[in-house]
Amino acid sequence: MTDQAAIVVDTNVLLNLATPVVDSRPRAPTGGDPLLTVLSVYDVHVPRAVVGEITEAASGDDLLATAADAVLAGTDRLTTHEVDAQLPEPIEYGLDTGESHAIWLANEMDAEMLVTDEFNTTNYLLVSLALADRNVLFTTPHVLCKLGEREIISSEYVDAALSYYVETKQWDSHYVDRLRRLYLDD
Amino acid sequence: MSKEKTRVDFNAPVRLVEQADTVADVLGISRTQLLIDALQDEIEELATDETFQRRISNAYYAGEIEFETVERVLGTEQASRLKLLRDSLDRDPPEPQLAGDLPTAEEFYEGEPPEWRPEQNAESDNELGSSTER
Repeated sequence: MTDQAAIVVDTNVLLNLATPVVDSRPRAPTGGDPLLTVLSVYDVHVPRAVVGEITEAASGDDLLATAADAVLAGTDRLTTHEVDAQLPEPIEYGLDTGESHAIWLANEMDAEMLVTDEFNTTNYLLVSLALADRNVLFTTPHVLCKLGEREIISSEYVDAALSYYVETKQWDSHYVDRLRRLYLDD
Repeated sequence: MSKEKTRVDFNAPVRLVEQADTVADVLGISRTQLLIDALQDEIEELATDETFQRRISNAYYAGEIEFETVERVLGTEQASRLKLLRDSLDRDPPEPQLAGDLPTAEEFYEGEPPEWRPEQNAESDNELGSSTER
């Protein structure tokens, strides 16, 4: 356990990782479990606010709520931290509590990676500015590609999952395609 | 915008030029000024158009255009986001470490993982995007 990289993730990342797992429609990829895998190969830390946001998201019976249920079932594998500090005002302003606490925690812990899926919006700038070391900033598709490259999840699954996310979450398809080419094409 | 000017000659449909002259007369500006204004408006509008933004970012990722071009068209904020994202492609996430085998779903979720099915005839495929977007 101890030699696993210590990473911090925000709420959306956990929900995004769980979404293809719980989605039983034919369009969702099968044969892998991104949530289970990420939580098993990294030492994953979250601020308390993230667990709070996931608990909130779990009310209801839509896809998002079901994904939140799945995350809650796996929270044993998360290390939760109390965070009551705040980021400087202008950065705090654009981000929600989970995100800003996650950044704070990543800075405090000197985390090897902060994963956020804010890459479609200018929030990505804020996250990047607020991070003590912006080189530790990664996204869910980037991490999944790494797992695919290492065949911890099959590269076919990662490939299908990326298409699923691009289709259902309007992720920047060109960015995702670049990742695909870097990691999954032999 | 630089004050330096360059001369541009182009052919346009006669009817359009006549229309432009009428509009310029009404506005009390020169034909040139009208064209400059129209061009500026068009570029500003494109900069906020999603399809166009996508094309710009694609060209930037592909190395076909420079940061300065993206910045000029999309503004500093968007351009900086794209640059950060493109730079991140050169980095590698930390090595995943697996001690033994991955846990089974049964072990991980302490039972079967929850499953979501769209309600009969209530949900369309598009529901997914809106319900899971942040």
